[in-house]
Amino acid sequence: MPETKEIVAVNDISFSVKRGERIAFIGPNGAGKSTTIKMLTGILFPTSGTVNILGFDPTKDRKKLAYQIGTVFGQRSQLLPNLPLTDSLEFFGVMYDMPEKEIKKRIVELVELFDLSSFIAQPVRKLSLGQRMRAEVAASLIHKPKIILLDEPTIGLDVVAKKSLRDLLLKINKEENTTIFLTSHDVGDIESLCDRTIVINHGVVIRDLPTQDLAKTFVYEKYIDLVALSNFNNFPELPEGIRYSSKDKNKVTVVVDINKINVQESLKKLLYLFEVEDIDVYNANLETVIRHIYERDSTRN
Amino acid sequence: MKEIRLAIKILKTLVKDRIQYPDRLVVDTIGIIARCGILLILYSYVFKLSNGAINGTTFLFAAWSIFFYFSFSVLRLRDISREIMKDIQTGNVEVLLSKPISYLSYRMWWQVGSGIYSFVVITLLAVVTLFFSIGLPSTMTISIFLPTLLLTFFCGVILSLFLYTMVGLLSFWIEDINPVFWIVDKAVMILGGSYLPVALFPAFMFKIALWSPFGASQFVTHTVYKTWQTNWYQLVGIQLFWIVLLGLVVYFMFESAKKKVSVNGG
Repeated sequence: MPETKEIVAVNDISFSVKRGERIAFIGPNGAGKSTTIKMLTGILFPTSGTVNILGFDPTKDRKKLAYQIGTVFGQRSQLLPNLPLTDSLEFFGVMYDMPEKEIKKRIVELVELFDLSSFIAQPVRKLSLGQRMRAEVAASLIHKPKIILLDEPTIGLDVVAKKSLRDLLLKINKEENTTIFLTSHDVGDIESLCDRTIVINHGVVIRDLPTQDLAKTFVYEKYIDLVALSNFNNFPELPEGIRYSSKDKNKVTVVVDINKINVQESLKKLLYLFEVEDIDVYNANLETVIRHIYERDSTRN
Repeated sequence: MKEIRLAIKILKTLVKDRIQYPDRLVVDTIGIIARCGILLILYSYVFKLSNGAINGTTFLFAAWSIFFYFSFSVLRLRDISREIMKDIQTGNVEVLLSKPISYLSYRMWWQVGSGIYSFVVITLLAVVTLFFSIGLPSTMTISIFLPTLLLTFFCGVILSLFLYTMVGLLSFWIEDINPVFWIVDKAVMILGGSYLPVALFPAFMFKIALWSPFGASQFVTHTVYKTWQTNWYQLVGIQLFWIVLLGLVVYFMFESAKKKVSVNGG
């Protein structure tokens, strides 16, 4: 028999979500994001603890809960590949036991909302990835779910398609008050779509905070751009806590570890070392912040 | 009511799909002409060498029996095993489990829908061709033939679906079910009478064909023989017994499998 090993995928996770919230559920690969989503939808059964969504226990009421939620798995299609998109939408309408009239009305709404009219009559397999993802999200909304769970919905999309999908998700959140629960590795999804971020790693929630506070809370590095008065001819050794990020004769960017040296002290020392025309102090971008959170948590473990 | 509506929608959608993309019909037609046609030519020759009858059976009965096997196979119910395996290996099972449907009944209707168009078209064409080329045995003209054929056909469909679903569900434990599928499929082919008409089986093999679920799933091949008129209720009874038994096995396997849904690729 092959050797088997028991792994705890998620452990002691606890959070609650309000109606209409937009949650980013993020973490590195293998952190337990998809496992959590599958527990929320009743696909996986937790070994202990309770899950309650809209008053349903997903382990016992999977089908009843399914009427209230929509799911989009970015890497898996739920549409009928050979038939026009309209057939898939009708198909899902029947699957959700909607009356024929209501299905037709909802398709009209979704076509307008998601701007599907240009490709609704095309077989799904002929759609571009961006069009297909819009169609996937539209199909998952056919029954007007109260919550939509999206597992990496923008994976593989180009920047234009990503933006378009994010805008649509914001629109349905606003117009239909649909709660959005999203996992993604794309910082853009988190920044532009979600008002709250839950960070998970090694199966444990390590942070749960408003997305806008994410950068503030975790910034322990500041970036300083120094623009040369004339040209920078030499690049002296920097004091402890400061390191070069990029060096150029016109501009130098340094990273300051604020646990070791504060910004005021750093500026004093830098101005002593360089003749500058302009200075710009800014935080790391969200991607760097998230990377730091993951790295710091990995080091702890 | 909801289940029936969804089942009808699945059938309609898949028939539309097949009509729009007729490649599958062409492949199925070529397949049945090649496999069934060659066998019929060979058996016609064998029966001629034996002065027209073997074990009291003529070519006319054997040919219709073989044809019923191949016609039934066009439904491709066996493919449900691989579809379930694919769902589990690719993780597609999670997409279906997040819908308000019963996964197994959805998969079964989907399988019927996938083959029904080819089945109807090919069967109608082949019945006409066989009728005009070799004629109709007297057993197929009696009043109980058609209703009992339909009855055993429906029981055969359900039994085949249960049998191959059982194999497919093994994917939850062993992932690659191909070796098991091969054994079950060959057992169905041999005991169902695809290679050798059941009337020509030696006594012990006939008993296995009669009492095993593999043979019972293909009882349509028995309907052309004279013995069917007196034995049909016994054979349908055997099918019903296996339907109940395998139905329970499938139910308990799936209940246990649901707790083992793996998370392939996160």
